[in-house]
This record gives sequence, C-alpha cells and structure tokens, in this order.
Amino acid sequence: MELLQQLTFLERGIIAGLIIGCICPLIGAFLLVRRITIISEALSHITLTGITAGMFLSQSIALFSFLNPLYAGLFFSLIGSLLVEKLRQIYKHFQELAIPIILSSGIGLSAILMSLTSGSYNQWYNYLFGSIITVSLSDLLFIIITGLIALLMIGGFYKELLSISFDQEFAKVTGVSVTRFNFFFSLLIAIVISMSMKVVGILLVGAMVTLPVAASIQLAKSFKQVIFLGILFGELAMIIGIILSYYLDIATGGMIVVTGVFILLITSGIKKITASLRSKI
Amino acid sequence: MISVFFEYSFLTYSLYTAIMVGLIAPLLGVFLVVRRLSLISDALSHITLSGIAFSLLLGKHFILFANLNPIYMGMIFSVGGAIFIERLRNVYRYYKELAIPIILSAGIGIGVVFISLADGFNTDLFSYLFGSVVVIRYSDFQLISVITILVLILFFLFYKEWFYLSFDEDQATVSGIPKKILHFIFIVMVALVIAASMRIVGILLVSSLMTLPVAAAMRWAKGFKQMFFYAIIFGELSVIIGLVSSFHLDLFPGGTIVLLNVLILLFSILLTNKR
Repeated sequence: MELLQQLTFLERGIIAGLIIGCICPLIGAFLLVRRITIISEALSHITLTGITAGMFLSQSIALFSFLNPLYAGLFFSLIGSLLVEKLRQIYKHFQELAIPIILSSGIGLSAILMSLTSGSYNQWYNYLFGSIITVSLSDLLFIIITGLIALLMIGGFYKELLSISFDQEFAKVTGVSVTRFNFFFSLLIAIVISMSMKVVGILLVGAMVTLPVAASIQLAKSFKQVIFLGILFGELAMIIGIILSYYLDIATGGMIVVTGVFILLITSGIKKITASLRSKI
Repeated sequence: MISVFFEYSFLTYSLYTAIMVGLIAPLLGVFLVVRRLSLISDALSHITLSGIAFSLLLGKHFILFANLNPIYMGMIFSVGGAIFIERLRNVYRYYKELAIPIILSAGIGIGVVFISLADGFNTDLFSYLFGSVVVIRYSDFQLISVITILVLILFFLFYKEWFYLSFDEDQATVSGIPKKILHFIFIVMVALVIAASMRIVGILLVSSLMTLPVAAAMRWAKGFKQMFFYAIIFGELSVIIGLVSSFHLDLFPGGTIVLLNVLILLFSILLTNKR
C-alpha cells in the first residue's frame, strides 16, 4: 500500500496499463473462440451508463458522494451481461439483436444522465476515450484487485472455460454446469471491462479485447499461442501507445488502439508473406 | 409544445430532418435486422466518427476544407469502412464475425487520434456524439433531403430483390440476382443513412434508430410488410417526441430518442408476451 502511494501519477497509469494489457487479450481469446467478441462492445457501453449513473448519484445524494463511479460501472455491466442472455431468449430467432439493443440503450441512457449531471466535458472525455494521467490511487487499487480476481478466476477454471468455449455439448456431457459457467464468464467480462475503462476509455475497451487476439490468431498455431501472442501484442500496444500519447500529446486510448491496429496490419502482412513463400516452395 | 419548432427556422429544419430520418432509418433497419447485419450499422457509425474527426483536422490546417461540411468526409469514411468490412471477412475466413468489432474499434481509435490532433475535445464534439437540436443548417437539411429521396427511390426499385435475398439467398443467387452488387448498394445506403441521421441522433446512437424500432416491430408484426409499417411508426414517434422533449428539457436529443425507443421496445415485449 505504501509502495503504491509513492508512485507518481504517470507510474500509476503505466502500471494500470500493463495490467490491462495482459488481462484484456486473455479474456479476448476466450471470446474469440466463442465468437462473441462483440459482447465486449455492448458491455462497455452499458458500463458508461453505470459511470454516469454513479456520477449522478454522487452529485445528488450525499450518501453516494464518496462512491467511486467505477463500482457503479461494474454493477451495470454485470446487469447488462445478464440482460443480454435474457434478450437472447426473448428473440430466439434473432439472437444477434440482443447486442445492439443493449449497446444502444446503454449509450442512450448515459447521454441523458450526462446532460443531467453537471460535469465538465473534459471529465466525460476522459471516461469516453481514456486518459492515463487521471488514474487515481483508488482507481489503481480497483484495477489491481479486479485484475487479480480475473486472473484467479481464469487460472482456477481454465479447463472448464476452455471446454465450454470450444464444445458446449461436450462440456455438458462431461458434467460441467454450462449455465453456471456462462454466468461466471459474463461476470468475468464485466470485471475486465470495468477495470480497463479508466485507462483505455469506454469506447475503446472493446478494441483492447479484440485487436490483440485478432492479430495473434493470424500467426498462432494453438489456443495457448493465441493467448500468449495476444498478451504480447496487448502489452506492446499498451506500452507504445502510452509512450506515443505522452510525447505527442494525444488521447491515450486512441493512440493505444491505433498501435493495436498497426500490429494487426503487420501480422496480416507477415501472414501473407509466409503464405506466398510457402506456396512457392 | 411543438409550436416553437415553427417559430425559428433552424428548429423547423431539425424537425423536418428528424421526420425524414425517422422514416429512412427504420426502413433500412428492417432489412438489416432480417439479414442479420444489425451490428454493421454500429461499425459504420463508429467509422463515420473518424471521418468527421479527419474533416475537422483538415479544416484546421487547410482553409479549403474549413467550410466543408464534415458530413461529407463522414460519408466517405463510412462507405470506405463498409468496403473494408467485406475485405476483412475474407481475411478471417473462419472468424467472419471479427470484422465488425475490428472496424468498430479501429474507427473510434483513429477518430480519437484525429480529434486529439485537431484539439477538438470541446462542446462541438459532444453534439456529434450525442446529437443536437440546434445544429441543423439549411445545407444539412438539403443534403439530408437528397439522401432521403435517393434512399426511397433505391428502396422501391430494389425492394423485390432484397426481399428475395433476405429470405432465401441461395435461391435468389441461382435465379440470377446479382447478389454482390445489390449487397454493395444496400451497404452504401446504410452508410448514407447513418451520415444523414448523425447530426440529430448523434454518432453513437444512430444505429439504435435502425435496430430498436425494428426489434419492437418484430413483436407486433404478422407479416414482412407490417414490420415496415410498425417500425416506421415507432421510429417517427420516438424521433418526434424525443426531439421536442429534448428541446424543452435541455437534454441530448439522441438520448431521449433512444430512451423512447427502449421504452417502446420494453412495452412491446411485455404486451406481446401475454398473447
């Protein structure tokens, strides 16, 4: 704790970034094979509603004035992930509708809450697009704790998560409770999104989850490699993005994502070259 | 309540624009939802943001671009994004659904970098993100009218073909319908509608105007044509009430419009569940 207190604001931001750069691609790999990477977008947008609701409550009700909006964000993103499942049941024949519905209602509600809350525009921009210099000590603690929880959850139930992601039928037969683990998985996504939001920004969390694994799947030959390369690319995008954004004075989230896009372009270039070399031989 | 909208010309323009948008967005939305492409509108709207930001950046450095309506650059980017999505689908043959989140996040990321470079983090940007009642100028109104007429003409021209493609793609291709070209025209239309709706509803909320009324209409409609009917009614209702109330309550119009849509959707789900 004392060690954390001694950190400068920049060091806090970088540590938070490194933790996020590791955990986002880790969960992204599971989302990728389950073909639901887009859920991260929906949940991140509903997290914004939580944040704005948290801000609104802390301004209007004294009891909530000490509440870090991140917790409200986590809460909303959990509810959102449950709602997605519910909507999938309601629209049985159009299951993919659940995501845009949640995504847009999340943003719509937050737009209203934003205009009700007296906050400067800059404060909202920090939440929307991320900023490493606004990572406070309590934010860093939140990120470290949730990061540890997420790591423990993935590490402890790696096998079950893996079998559910690749073959739900098989998992069911071997006695893994699919409904329970799907809920567990939603919880995990909600945690990861609310922890990443402060650094990368709500609108860009989805990018951190998707882009590194999209790049790693171009090169990887096994699921473990997807995870490993994904984390590597995630950390690279984080570090380069943070450094560039600091020196060029550009919003951090944007720079991190653009670096991620570059990594993706490079990997697909490498893949094309190796493929053409192989076809020549 | 609504009379104030006819007293000031800029409010009249935004009301007319909203009515047009409330018509064409759900109209295309029906096809989007039925063809299971509803997420594409999210991706395209996010890439429109990069276009807007790019235009703001150019406008800052070159006088030539300063007077250009950012809507045009947004349109170019969103059409470009549509083409790129198709390309990405070929790159990720086994994970086709990855194309949309990649474009979506890349669009926002690049947009943010452009905005930063243009020092654009101000109130103006907020009206792009969440819509505004007061920003519609005569030139916007003209452009959106043209887009609306174009979309309506194309819609009636190709209705049968799209209908066929939406329900039985294989049969349609076999019977000689040029699937690729029609799909391309459709996506370009979606990009245009997004650019048209953006000023009123806001970039982050455009896609909801295309999906939410349709999702609600689905609960009521007994046929495909009825779905259009309900979707447009819900769309118009939410847009008009949302716009007027946002003006009087001083909220972002995008927020009120989407919230009304969500309410309509909730009522539709609750009311039709009992039947």
